[in-house]
Amino acid sequence: MPDYDAIVVGAGNAGSAAAITMAQKGLSVLLVDRSDPPGAKNLSGGVLWGNDLARILPKWQNEAPLERFIQDKKIGFLTDKSSIIIDFKTKIFEENKVGYTVLRSKFDPWLAKKAREAGATVIPGITVESLAKKDGKIIGVEESEDIVTASVVILAEGINPRLSIEAGLRGPLQDWEVSVGVKEIIKLSPQKIEDRFNLTSSSGMASEYILGNLEELNVGAFFYTNKDSISLGIVAPMEQLRENGVTHTYDIIEQFKEHPSIAPLIDGGTVAEYGAHMIPEGGLEMVPKLYGDGYMIVGDSAGFGFSNGLVLQGMNYAFLSGILAGETAVEAKGKGDFSSDSLSMYRQKLENSYVLKDLKTFKDIRKVTNNKNMYTTYPKMLESILLEMLWERGQPKKKVRDILGSCAADLKMSKLKTATDFYYIYRRM
Amino acid sequence: MILDIKERLGKTKYDVDKSYAHITVDESICEKCPHHFCVMACPAQCYTLQDGKLSFQYEDCVECGTCSVACDQGSVKWHFPKAGKGVIYKYG
Repeated sequence: MPDYDAIVVGAGNAGSAAAITMAQKGLSVLLVDRSDPPGAKNLSGGVLWGNDLARILPKWQNEAPLERFIQDKKIGFLTDKSSIIIDFKTKIFEENKVGYTVLRSKFDPWLAKKAREAGATVIPGITVESLAKKDGKIIGVEESEDIVTASVVILAEGINPRLSIEAGLRGPLQDWEVSVGVKEIIKLSPQKIEDRFNLTSSSGMASEYILGNLEELNVGAFFYTNKDSISLGIVAPMEQLRENGVTHTYDIIEQFKEHPSIAPLIDGGTVAEYGAHMIPEGGLEMVPKLYGDGYMIVGDSAGFGFSNGLVLQGMNYAFLSGILAGETAVEAKGKGDFSSDSLSMYRQKLENSYVLKDLKTFKDIRKVTNNKNMYTTYPKMLESILLEMLWERGQPKKKVRDILGSCAADLKMSKLKTATDFYYIYRRM
Repeated sequence: MILDIKERLGKTKYDVDKSYAHITVDESICEKCPHHFCVMACPAQCYTLQDGKLSFQYEDCVECGTCSVACDQGSVKWHFPKAGKGVIYKYG
């Protein structure tokens, strides 16, 4: 008899969601995490969309340590001197609060505590050294020469899945599969945050930008309000960084902070924490085999992330993939069958959910996010158009068509190239 | 508000494992590396070039794993730090 029905490696969003799902259905579950408290290695670089959490924790919005609900969502381009932003602020977000800013060092321990309350054994501060295998099956985990066994091991290691790589369950990560996220927490009083961003004591703002001010790099940036701090950072694709070869990742974030439309927003704040984390960017192509005899892979470890330069998602995929893996384990326990064949239901469930549907719909998105024009030419073009239209310089006005034509010419883009490029992006966004 | 990287790293909490380096590099490989991309990619300035020679320290590592991808020469060996050691984010 194995020691547990299931061992979950990693108490982040995916791992804890899996543990809660299984423990609620009476499975014996061991949840281990290499940090103590859980979450101390994690960074949030996005908004937590919690629809799926309601499936396992109906009262999550009242109980979880959330920062601010997102009422105001901004997306935009920054050029050297300008910012062009769509500011979407809606009562609908206030009436349907599901998107929140979070700090993972507060949120993750809460979610792990929920796993404990559901009946799982939660042990933080344990670094699993390797996966235990027998006859080609994963049968448990090894730590300090001890083997703890389980019918199924759920791998929720995050984006740097050393155990899965070492056990040959997935290949080493490649440049095209990841971006480097660099983040800072800037302390600012709630009063300043609420005045500066026109918020109430519970509402928040989330902004995502395309940085058009970095000549040779396609970089995105984010800016979120917490209760008494700002989370801001940059997301730089590894391929771009390597091709560029002369820019330090730790300098790009400071360039973002210095931008004339960002600097005033953090004025008077102090840096409280600096960190970095990789982000899955490879889409469907980076998804490994998600299950096998005695194991399933969930969350970032499975490559479940999505970004199109303006929207970043990952925590919701982590919750849902964890829940679906948990449900699969519950069914496998019912059948007494944890073989690859039985666990293939996990893939089926993902195929029927938005997780794999999204990755399939946007399978070509990297062709857009890798398009250099998106980060250099088009922000400049937009800026030129707006300057022509909105800046009175004692010159005759032009029609939009003529403005577009002359801006394209200035940026050495033919009308045809611009039109086909727009169509290409439009098809894939 | 714009801070040097060392000053920024000083804001982050660590419990450094003095007896175990979770990342190791093979100097003989780094010597022949044509690009030293790790120096640009590492967000924590763990990799620096001194007189053309690569120097590495793991103490400031924030465990992002970037160097394990950035190094395509087979020099970087990356393991999780031992239980609870390494970076401890207070905010995250």
